[in-house]
Amino acid sequence: MYWLERHQLDNLVKKLTESYELFGPRRDEVSGEIIFDRLSHPQQLDLKAPIPYNPPKYILFPHYEEILKYRYDRQSKKVVLGRVSHLKPKALVGLRSCDLTGILCLDRFFLGQEFVDEVYLEHRKKLFLISNTCVRPFPQCFCVCTDSGPSAREGFDLDLTRVGDRYLVEIGSKKGQSLAEELGLKKAGEEAAELKKKVVDESVSSFDAFALENKAWISRATNRLTTGFIKPEVWEYIGNQCFECGACSFVCPTCSCFNVEDVNRLDGATDRLRTWDSCSFEGYTKMAGDHNPRKPVEDRRNKRFFCKLSYSQSKKYLRPGCVGCGRCARVCPGDIGLPNVVTYIRREITGE
Amino acid sequence: MEGSLVPIVTVPEVATVVEIRDEIDEVKTFYFNFDRPEIEQAFKIRSGQFIMCTIFGAGEFAVSLPFSPENDRKHISVRRVGKVTAALHELQPGDKIGVRGPFGNGFPFEEIKGKNIIYVAGGIGLIPLRSSIVQVLQHRAEFGRVILVYGARSSRDLMYKESIREWKATENFETYFTIDRPEPDWSGEVGFVNQLVAKKLSLPADNTVAFVCGPPVMFNSVIKELKLKGIKEDHIYSTLERHMKCGLGKCQHCAIGRTLVCVDGPVYTYKQIKTLGEQI
Repeated sequence: MYWLERHQLDNLVKKLTESYELFGPRRDEVSGEIIFDRLSHPQQLDLKAPIPYNPPKYILFPHYEEILKYRYDRQSKKVVLGRVSHLKPKALVGLRSCDLTGILCLDRFFLGQEFVDEVYLEHRKKLFLISNTCVRPFPQCFCVCTDSGPSAREGFDLDLTRVGDRYLVEIGSKKGQSLAEELGLKKAGEEAAELKKKVVDESVSSFDAFALENKAWISRATNRLTTGFIKPEVWEYIGNQCFECGACSFVCPTCSCFNVEDVNRLDGATDRLRTWDSCSFEGYTKMAGDHNPRKPVEDRRNKRFFCKLSYSQSKKYLRPGCVGCGRCARVCPGDIGLPNVVTYIRREITGE
Repeated sequence: MEGSLVPIVTVPEVATVVEIRDEIDEVKTFYFNFDRPEIEQAFKIRSGQFIMCTIFGAGEFAVSLPFSPENDRKHISVRRVGKVTAALHELQPGDKIGVRGPFGNGFPFEEIKGKNIIYVAGGIGLIPLRSSIVQVLQHRAEFGRVILVYGARSSRDLMYKESIREWKATENFETYFTIDRPEPDWSGEVGFVNQLVAKKLSLPADNTVAFVCGPPVMFNSVIKELKLKGIKEDHIYSTLERHMKCGLGKCQHCAIGRTLVCVDGPVYTYKQIKTLGEQI
């Protein structure tokens, strides 16, 4: 581990801006919310801010993205088609461990299954990731239950932990190593590990009681979801509360369902766009001819929680699909964020 | 069936529609060839697989492949049901389409050599089965009895009339055709396919595999008969359809329980289908 002094943080950020577009948590002037956004000035970076409202997912997997462009002239029967990429390298600074874990889930899903997603890969290989140990969980946070925080263990290039007025820096990659050396960071002594542990322990103890209580119940819920031993009434209850707004999917660091649509431009070209989608929408499974195999809303809710917690889905992510950021609980107007669903499953088990 | 099975993943390959045939009401068959000779050469499929077909300016849809993996003309047969298939139906010979794929697991072939095979199809359910039927007939000596039971609402609703004529004349291929109601010039059977399966077929169940494709009502009633005949649930194959956007296991639209129809399917045994926990 290394020490990063206060003034070196500025150097670090400055260094990154030479080769990367800079993204990080900043306070939005209009709403006052913390958002994970592009930073036009390095000074906007706020490493002490609470968890951002949105995960950084959109940087690797944009809300909508052109994946193909083509032009077909029916008269001459000529087709011109191809994919042009103008992606710039990006540095994500101040990632929460939950959000970094979300990126790892996306990596394993998009790059590690039967097919490699070439569009995602292009985004991914140009990233520099700096995580930041989370010392300020917000009330809905439960990463301690899903093994994804409050400090990062893998996947980062550099990992920061604030100790007093400076940061302990852990190296996660060669890219990270060379940057640390370039900045001339001082090697930390043997006391570093102990210091970091103290910060992490303190953070863990500041989680809300519900997170600590839910710890064991997440795995029970995983078991129940996997084996299908959840009564239809529970799904109905959850389904009845769902507004089908899709907000849970959009703020989820690991939700990655997408739709694809060909959009005709006025100049005669067509853009094939892939856009975010949500399994809570009624049209999600509807086929041409209007047959919809997954009709009732509880079927669709069921699907999302299966995706987040079932064992079979976890095999794709090599960990649970939920990273415990609690954002779904924060945005859900029907009060069926993941922690609540775990509570309903728990009530069913205990008969409370 | 040698050659690589490397699918076209992200950017569609351009193909030319060379011939269009009217099959039945609202269903046409489109024969196509790839524009690039090297793709024309390299494009290999397994029966039961599907492609993602782009209609330029309209969109992309998943469609099963009715042609044999060997020595057969490349084509798709499509009913006009939605926006994109309507655009496909407007095409003329010479028009271009885009193709990604082939995707999916496909029907068993090597594994079922030596066995009796019974194909049961209803309506346009014959489309995905045709690929396997033609391939099996191309290797006729390597299989036991081969039977086709095909039913449609009326004689006008029977797909692939040219293939049917050929099949009727094929030796060692037992074919039964049925329509729902009697018609003046109809010499085949009358009634639903499940009744035909019940009435006509006596098979050594332990060495028989069944391929069933058709509308859900027909599917369920046929399964019932096949089970009564003693055919094992994991010897009954079908192919499922779902809304699909990528074909690559990423968009998740075709998820049923823990499986994705595009990469784990579209071919499933009835034993698997039963455990999927969603209607077919």
